[in-house]
Amino acid sequence: MTPRKTLLGLAATAAIIAPAAAQQRIPVGHLMDNSGATSDVGVPYGQGVADTLAWVNASRNGIGGRPLNVLGFDYGYQAPRAVSQYQAWNRDRVVAIQGWGTADTEALVRFVTRDRIPFVSGSYSAALTDAGGKSGRQGVEPAPYNFFYGPSYSDGLRAMLRWAAEDWKTRGGQGKPKYVHMGGNHPYPNSPKAAGEALAAELGFEVLPAIVFALTPGDYTAQCLTLKSQGANYAYLGNTAGSNISVLRACQTAGVNVQFLGNVWGMDENAMKAAGAAANGVVFPVRTAVVWGQDAPGMATLRQISRISDASGNAYRPVHYMAGACAAMLMVEAMDTASASGGELTGERIRNGFYARQGWVPKGFEGVCNPSTFTAEDHRGTLRVGLYRAVVTGDTSQGSVAELMQSGTMKLQPVTVVELPRTRETLGW
Amino acid sequence: MDLAPAGDYRSSYREDMTIFPTRNSRLAMLLGLALLCTAPLFLGRYELGLLINIGTLGIAALGLNILVGFTGQISIGHAAFFGFGAFASAWLHERWHIPVALCIPLAGVMTALVGLVFGAPAGRLKGLYLAIATLAAQFILEDFFARAQWFTGGVAGRITEPFSLGGWVADREESYLYVVIAYVVVMYLAAANLMRTRDGRALIAVRDHYLSAEVMGINLAYYRTLSFGIASLYAGIGGALYAHYLLFVSVEAFNILFSIQFLGMVIIGGLGSVMGSLMGSAFMVILPEVVQAGADLLSGSAIDRALKLGASISFLREMAVGAAIILFLIFEPDGLARRWRLIKSYWKLYPYSH
Repeated sequence: MTPRKTLLGLAATAAIIAPAAAQQRIPVGHLMDNSGATSDVGVPYGQGVADTLAWVNASRNGIGGRPLNVLGFDYGYQAPRAVSQYQAWNRDRVVAIQGWGTADTEALVRFVTRDRIPFVSGSYSAALTDAGGKSGRQGVEPAPYNFFYGPSYSDGLRAMLRWAAEDWKTRGGQGKPKYVHMGGNHPYPNSPKAAGEALAAELGFEVLPAIVFALTPGDYTAQCLTLKSQGANYAYLGNTAGSNISVLRACQTAGVNVQFLGNVWGMDENAMKAAGAAANGVVFPVRTAVVWGQDAPGMATLRQISRISDASGNAYRPVHYMAGACAAMLMVEAMDTASASGGELTGERIRNGFYARQGWVPKGFEGVCNPSTFTAEDHRGTLRVGLYRAVVTGDTSQGSVAELMQSGTMKLQPVTVVELPRTRETLGW
Repeated sequence: MDLAPAGDYRSSYREDMTIFPTRNSRLAMLLGLALLCTAPLFLGRYELGLLINIGTLGIAALGLNILVGFTGQISIGHAAFFGFGAFASAWLHERWHIPVALCIPLAGVMTALVGLVFGAPAGRLKGLYLAIATLAAQFILEDFFARAQWFTGGVAGRITEPFSLGGWVADREESYLYVVIAYVVVMYLAAANLMRTRDGRALIAVRDHYLSAEVMGINLAYYRTLSFGIASLYAGIGGALYAHYLLFVSVEAFNILFSIQFLGMVIIGGLGSVMGSLMGSAFMVILPEVVQAGADLLSGSAIDRALKLGASISFLREMAVGAAIILFLIFEPDGLARRWRLIKSYWKLYPYSH
């Protein structure tokens, strides 16, 4: 064979192999909010998911030797846009999706159930946990393909209320403590409202009428004055960090003395810097066992992942980034399970992959990701809620988040870990 | 192509009023429809989804065009009526178990009645004042959606059922497309015919010069309010079709930005043009997808790295839509409909365009 023919032959072989190799890539959808109402927390979470999936491709060549083809899409927190993008992904035959908000996740429940596509959301609405649809609660549909990493909004609030009841005793409070739910009139802040108020009443709190403030930053002095005049002791903040900061600052100015309880998206290191001393003392659930800067066996892996988008390795990663990494790894390992048994990667097999382990911590993430357990009836991955307190001791206007955390001006202080009972009554609620 | 001979050969009012001027234009329309009906054979679900969106939004945009383009009124609350239709259809089905096929026109009628109520100020107000009155409609209805648990399911939204007729269930893009095509044909023919009636001409007269219209004996308050009713009917039917396509309706979707988007469709498509409404909605649906595709190509490329765009690429789409509207206002204030006419006449007269 002449060299020229060899070359031609090689080129022809390459031409045949190249598309075949391209087909081997596993399409995965990634819905993110980088420009909408919840982009304050959507950006770090989405970055965490994207970096982790890129790291999976780079470090272990994807799933069973087939790299992931991650199809990212910024939907600006608009549910209809998410639905139309879902149709596009359906065309590309994605086998699983990393999702985001409450409204779009709930809009897509029926679609992903119909098309059998596992959907790992950033929405922790308890309504998504009733996988078998057996709770019989009004408005709760079976969601066998919906998963999320961490405690549901309701369980997060239940844990904080249990802590608050103890806290009231240790502080030697007199009479009944007063509890109030605060947040926008929107599915996401509303999701744990009824569950929280019911438990608060049970634990001996006096439940005050809920206070509404919008999901966008604004002047919430009126809300703070209401808090003050009602004499609330514990207030739940149901929104994302941006608008919560407005409330915290307004309440600091108004001189309100109340213990704020944030939700998982309601507080983070960036919000602490923005709110400054006003954020001092806020208690909120953290989904990972450690935060950035602490040490655990799995932190080495996380630092590698962080280098995907930050070659210097100096970036400070907020709690949402780490939660995003854990959420992405749950999906990756479920896909491993689906492909390990020698089978095709279908949505149904990936879903079954989520059920394969008990007390599931992704490999290499020990001490970072909290253990999760999913069953065909119950998609409450965890009922163990780690509570942290935001501690701000000085001026946060100077220096980056990394520097402030390093110098100790801002700290995330572990408060307690609450283990909630896994009861049927609270499923889907 | 409607290849008409030079000169005006029309000798009766009937010929003057026809929607399709030549036999060929009628044939082209029928052929186009037939081609559209075979779309599920060669288009994927994503493209079909875009077509369905163009159809549902196009119906609502036509309603707004009747109000803005033909009657010369203004509304910045069109999305609220669109939403009312969506919720009404979902509610009619869930509460009264009316078949979805019947719910859609009923929802249109309910929305028309609501539109008449909110259109009442139009009998007295003009220009900016009317705009503010319709803004009120937007906020009142949005607040109603968020609070009326019995009607809308509150802020959590409401799950809707797919369209079914007899034993045929249109729960996929391939089947739902036919429902939308049927509604688009009926609603567009109705609008084109409306403009040939006395009432339709009265609406145009109100737009062209309200004082002259009144002198000619046209009841201004009546026709202005009627126009709101018709616009709401179209919005309601569009909204109902949207609800049974997405199978989920939530108050979040029907905000003021969406209202402005409807105005954008009408302006880009061409004020006072029936077909322009469809072109405008097609433009507004397809443009973000095209920009998105461009942004996907751009992200990670050399340009991205050189300019350090990163996450800012996400905002490209929003800016592109804004820029498109501005450019249209400057370079083509009569919209896509006029551009289409120019293209047609270019070919008709080719090669002697002068």
